[in-house]
Amino acid sequence: MKKTNTHPTTRRVFLGAMAGAGTALGAGLLSPKLAHADPGNGHAQCTLAKPIPGGVAPFAPFAIFIHHNPLNPAVALASINDPSQITDFDGFVGLTHIRGTGTGTNPATGATQSLNFQADMGFSQGRFIGIDGGQHEGTFAFV
Amino acid sequence: MYSGPVGLVNQIHDFNVHIDSNDVFWMVRVPDSAVKVDFDQAQASLQVEGLNVFDDHDIANSLTFGLGLPTIPGVAPVRAQVSFDVEWNGALAEADIHNAGQSFQGSFFSTVTTINWSAEEDEFQFQSEPPNPATNLISVLGHEQNGVFFS
Repeated sequence: MKKTNTHPTTRRVFLGAMAGAGTALGAGLLSPKLAHADPGNGHAQCTLAKPIPGGVAPFAPFAIFIHHNPLNPAVALASINDPSQITDFDGFVGLTHIRGTGTGTNPATGATQSLNFQADMGFSQGRFIGIDGGQHEGTFAFV
Repeated sequence: MYSGPVGLVNQIHDFNVHIDSNDVFWMVRVPDSAVKVDFDQAQASLQVEGLNVFDDHDIANSLTFGLGLPTIPGVAPVRAQVSFDVEWNGALAEADIHNAGQSFQGSFFSTVTTINWSAEEDEFQFQSEPPNPATNLISVLGHEQNGVFFS
């Protein structure tokens, strides 16, 4: 199935533009292999799901358009954007925008440090139409 | 993760699974058993152990594939593992949404949510504080249809 992107600054377009500009900084990082690199869970090859058409471009014009609508505490629940990252989807979705603290440790020295965190995480669980045009069921973590 | 107040200039770790080859943002398939939903009670959980991720150092480097921004130096990602238990627990508000502009509809709760998570990589480990509902900024639990399932 041919895949189309409707937004002018998707990841692929961004990579193409930067590579075309002949930028030297981090040029090795622009390889599609790394852009799609699988951290070891097999997801780069088998998610099958398609992204929602909308989203945001947090660092435009320097970074990519992301197919995700971050939660905004200032927006009333009835006015939220689609919280799913997957389109053609029917199921449960959870998102959280949460902060907290914790302890970082250097395992070599045992030195510890108090750190703050912000986590934007969630899940989708249900049926979806995949890039193969077929209907699938699955569970996804947003990490 | 931040060495001071939450903000890009203080960020020192950013754990995520990267965007997949279909442009789906930071989503990874997990076993169905990783998620439990009791929608009538506005409750759900997401529990994953030892998920392989990347540490991109900061969100700017994550979204520029390590190029950084004019004010943020480029950093190459390193491999890491994270474990987490996220709990959506009880409705603060609820709303039915039918958004034709974005082609999605469904029933949604805003909830109190807690998280307990840890991370590990070659030169760094992290353990969050015990789950603390006071640190929830905004959380949503929904049952929705979008795209071709929107009517």
